[in-house]
Amino acid sequence: MNDKLIIAGKEFDSRLFIGTGKFSSNKIMADAIESSGTQMVTVALRRVDIDNPNDNMLAAIDRKKYLLLPNTSGARNADEAVRLARLARAATGIIWLKLEVTPDPYYLLPDPIETLKAAEILVKEGFIVLPYINADPVLAKKLQDAGVATVMPLASPIGSNQGLKTKSAIEIIIAQATVPVVVDAGLGMPSHAAEAMEMGADAVLVNTAIAAAKNPVQMANAFKKAVQAGRQAFLAGGAEVKRQADASSPLTGFLRE
Amino acid sequence: MTVLRINGEDRHFEKTLPATLADLLGLMKVDAATVVAEIDGQIIKKDDFGSTKLSTGQKIELIRLVGGG
Repeated sequence: MNDKLIIAGKEFDSRLFIGTGKFSSNKIMADAIESSGTQMVTVALRRVDIDNPNDNMLAAIDRKKYLLLPNTSGARNADEAVRLARLARAATGIIWLKLEVTPDPYYLLPDPIETLKAAEILVKEGFIVLPYINADPVLAKKLQDAGVATVMPLASPIGSNQGLKTKSAIEIIIAQATVPVVVDAGLGMPSHAAEAMEMGADAVLVNTAIAAAKNPVQMANAFKKAVQAGRQAFLAGGAEVKRQADASSPLTGFLRE
Repeated sequence: MTVLRINGEDRHFEKTLPATLADLLGLMKVDAATVVAEIDGQIIKKDDFGSTKLSTGQKIELIRLVGGG
């Protein structure tokens, strides 16, 4: 089946993106990434720990196999996000960017106004911008108009594992989208990811549900299968939902008088 | 007294500062290949670490990639 995901001209066979936070070791992270079949992994930028300067998680990621997607986590406004984006580009030479602006540390919900402002600046600077947003169809359209490469609406708050709480709004975003829609944040189990894919999402991004599972490597593989199954079901086209029964067996030839 | 503010904390040097950013990284045992540096808000390209001279009072940020979603 030739069913590539194309973002900013780059082809992906896997529709599952993996976040690299919260893993208990670099080895488990690397094994989970492998087991997920992903081709894109997110990373964050932080100050070097002066007391432990050589903890280098990057060495565990094969950059020939996996595209790094630096994020702007920690940014509370557009200015901070733009600064982090430039640092990420300087650090990696990569112009791909997961734009996230989350001023509120409790729910970590993205700030739509600052996100749009930062996206406009970063697109002009040549970044391939993948913005993390609330499931707001109007904002998604404005970001598309600003030239972002995808929109990434949240399913529920980051790391909450609550699943697709924003389903009806994401359906509208998908219906209106001219760029790929990546459901990001809050997908807690493979069934949630499958549900997003069945709706027609182009990809999903998962971190906590895998990293915090008892067996992250197995969970990564379960998400891989769920994303593939959900995508295939979407392409197959679901049968109609009806209000009453519609017999599967023939209604003729019964063995009765 | 000479001082650099590194990652938000003052670091004092008894006599002289490391001559260049590359020297500072060496002193701190930080692998230059894995970090990006900012001095007083300006990003320093990796190729320029060896030629970037330091002066007292500068704010230096040493940043690297970590796991994150």
